[in-house]
Amino acid sequence: MNISMNEFKASLRRCFEASGYFVGNYEDAANMVLWLEKHGLNGLTELKHALPYICNDFDKPLSNVIYEDSTSAIIDAHHRSALNCIAAAVDLAHAKALEVGIATVTVHNCHNRMFVLKALTDRGRRGISAAAYWKNGSDTVTEHTAAICSGKRYPSYSQAVTNLITNGEDKQALTIICSSRVDLTSSLQSSDSLIITPKQIEKNKEKSVDFGIEIDESTWQKINKLGAGVLVENTERSRLDAGGR
Amino acid sequence: MTKHADIRASLWGDNALPLRPPSQVMNLERLGSLHQSRLSFMRTLVRRIFRERWKIELATFELNNDGFGTVVYEVNAPDGLFSFVLFSDLLLPEERNDRVIATKWDLTMALVEGRVNPEYIAKLKENVPKQEAGRVDSRVFVLSRANRSARNFDYVVNQLATGQQPDVSKIAEVGYLYRTTAVYGSGKLGMADWEKVQQKHRDFARPFASEMFVCFMLRNFSLLQVEHIARHRNEQTFTPMRADIKRYFGIGNSTGLGMAPYLVNHPVLINQWIEMRELALARIRSLGAITSQIKTTLLELLKRCAQHTHETITEDKQQTQHNIILAQEMNKLTEQVVTNFTSWNELIAFSEQHCSLQSQEIFVSVMLELYPELVDDLEDFHCADENLDLDPLMPLHQLKAVIERRYDWALAIDFDAEGARETYWYRSEEKMEPRLGSIADVEGKKKAMALAVGYAVRKCYNILVDYITANPSQITARFMVAHPKLRGIVRRIQGMDRCVYGDIQANLLDKNVLPMHLLRCKLAFFGVSKFDPRSRLWVRNTMFQGAPLLEDIGKPFSDDWFMPLIPKQ
Repeated sequence: MNISMNEFKASLRRCFEASGYFVGNYEDAANMVLWLEKHGLNGLTELKHALPYICNDFDKPLSNVIYEDSTSAIIDAHHRSALNCIAAAVDLAHAKALEVGIATVTVHNCHNRMFVLKALTDRGRRGISAAAYWKNGSDTVTEHTAAICSGKRYPSYSQAVTNLITNGEDKQALTIICSSRVDLTSSLQSSDSLIITPKQIEKNKEKSVDFGIEIDESTWQKINKLGAGVLVENTERSRLDAGGR
Repeated sequence: MTKHADIRASLWGDNALPLRPPSQVMNLERLGSLHQSRLSFMRTLVRRIFRERWKIELATFELNNDGFGTVVYEVNAPDGLFSFVLFSDLLLPEERNDRVIATKWDLTMALVEGRVNPEYIAKLKENVPKQEAGRVDSRVFVLSRANRSARNFDYVVNQLATGQQPDVSKIAEVGYLYRTTAVYGSGKLGMADWEKVQQKHRDFARPFASEMFVCFMLRNFSLLQVEHIARHRNEQTFTPMRADIKRYFGIGNSTGLGMAPYLVNHPVLINQWIEMRELALARIRSLGAITSQIKTTLLELLKRCAQHTHETITEDKQQTQHNIILAQEMNKLTEQVVTNFTSWNELIAFSEQHCSLQSQEIFVSVMLELYPELVDDLEDFHCADENLDLDPLMPLHQLKAVIERRYDWALAIDFDAEGARETYWYRSEEKMEPRLGSIADVEGKKKAMALAVGYAVRKCYNILVDYITANPSQITARFMVAHPKLRGIVRRIQGMDRCVYGDIQANLLDKNVLPMHLLRCKLAFFGVSKFDPRSRLWVRNTMFQGAPLLEDIGKPFSDDWFMPLIPKQ
């Protein structure tokens, strides 16, 4: 079925709010999913991976800074989804870049890292260049990178399947680099990587703006069912709360 | 042509104009006293249609003798062609309900990009009459429905069918033939997103322009329909309605709590609307020359406001009292203008000392009416990029200072006082309708909507003060990692430091909160008149009363339909 971006965002917000996300976080999370889908980068697929676990984050410890100096920081996300912790990490890299020119923040134990793209892209609009790198998978390792230049609206993204062996140390890690002085671009060294240019990402967005978003009914129902958790049961008494007769 | 740089220079810096302070403007009761003005969206839309001479014609007219069937108008605007499609259906009295929870209506309609063919009309007919229970595609960008006025519709048809004009005193009581109960846009039910409308449909690329257009077209259709039914009832005795009486018909509207969260959730946009209104006022205070012509028009408008208010009928005792006072205070202002009027600042000071908030704000609307050359260009600046970005580098002592400066009103509220947190806002599972509950409903309160900005600021401030004691030199980004729960409110605080009219300065949790003020504020920006509160939670009003008609397009246009009066019988 076809839905508008606004419907998608509103439903996602309710879904994340009902899952225990905080004010500010549930808007960020909804925007992250929507941004990927709107720009042709499989937001819905990523969301489907995340959905079975999003309620679990409610019980996990909050992210904390385990190392920090003027140009870098390491954050432990305690196996949270990037949906509810990555925006703060990118903000920290952004702030450090403004202070010292270029900065790195590494996030450990973070899931659904593809969602970093929205937070990363926002830096371009705000005059900061940013790049991210992460690896994914246990049997087959894929690597991913995205980058945006200062003042630009669309990032580049590439991914490649590698023959790397999983290293317990770097699993679920994400490295973010921000700079207020240098324009960062990133591309994988692998010769057969999938590269999506800023131009392609812009074209994908135009299509979504024109025609909305395609979603399968079962996913749409799942999102709405979770989101129904913020709705209050309807009663005659409750109808009076709206001034009804 | 006015540019963004001109606007910025008028708002900030050494050459800024003296705008009223947010502590005055954003007071909830004052917001609830706003009136329509020439910057209201209905006025700006009508100006655009008439100045650009939009061509609006019937493309399909398939109504039976009782007025049921399908009608399509084609709208040729400078940047595009659009179709306005209406379905008129029989509605039984027991099915009639103005609440958002209704499921059937007399009239349902859609605004669509491009020309519609029979196949597409059939597709719309399958879905538009179902409203929330149907789905449309991204060619559609407004969906609405309306019910006939039980008091007026049949009466007007009978009058015209028997060769008589409607009695205007009856129309003064209820100034419409149809009352719309919801107007949906911005991507709801599968429609085009605002992003598309803004980018691709320049004719409607202003806030709520397309929604207002649908109401304008509905009003014109209602007049066409009553004449059509009356003519078929008795062709020999039928008489068309007089044009001046037609213009006195508007469209009824009932608005409930659904509109209230919008004002809280779109602070950047609300700031923009209010800032333009305040800038218009500041321009007049500084630049508005007081000539004898201006004085004459001012006196005429004050008289008109008094008369319009006198002709406004409401069963609500408080509103009736407000209206009586307002009419008296228009006389008081008139006296002042006649005897002692040399500067706008003095006259404003007089109104602030001697008049109610309702009169003070209607006076502002009158002032805007007098100087189109200082006001009208601001209508192009009602859009805003709604991104609220966190400033991660802001030192925490600066964040604290921002709260103390911008949210002094929130810090002054005693949230521990009895009743200060008595109310909560929630969404019902019934069409997600926003409602207002009491904290006695413990289960419901867990699902409260985050609309209590003042209380959230207070909690944030308390945590921040403690955090700064332990970490005096840290920045906001670091505070956000430690306190992610505060992300939303910190982002808002920082954003509102730049948007000073973004926050309503009131405790929305208080047991005595009057949501009516929120509704009234937004409706005033839309441009409605004749406020008729039906409880503290919903209000009836009239849209487009006095506006020119479709058949007036292309004729001389004075843009003078502010505070319309009963036409002479």
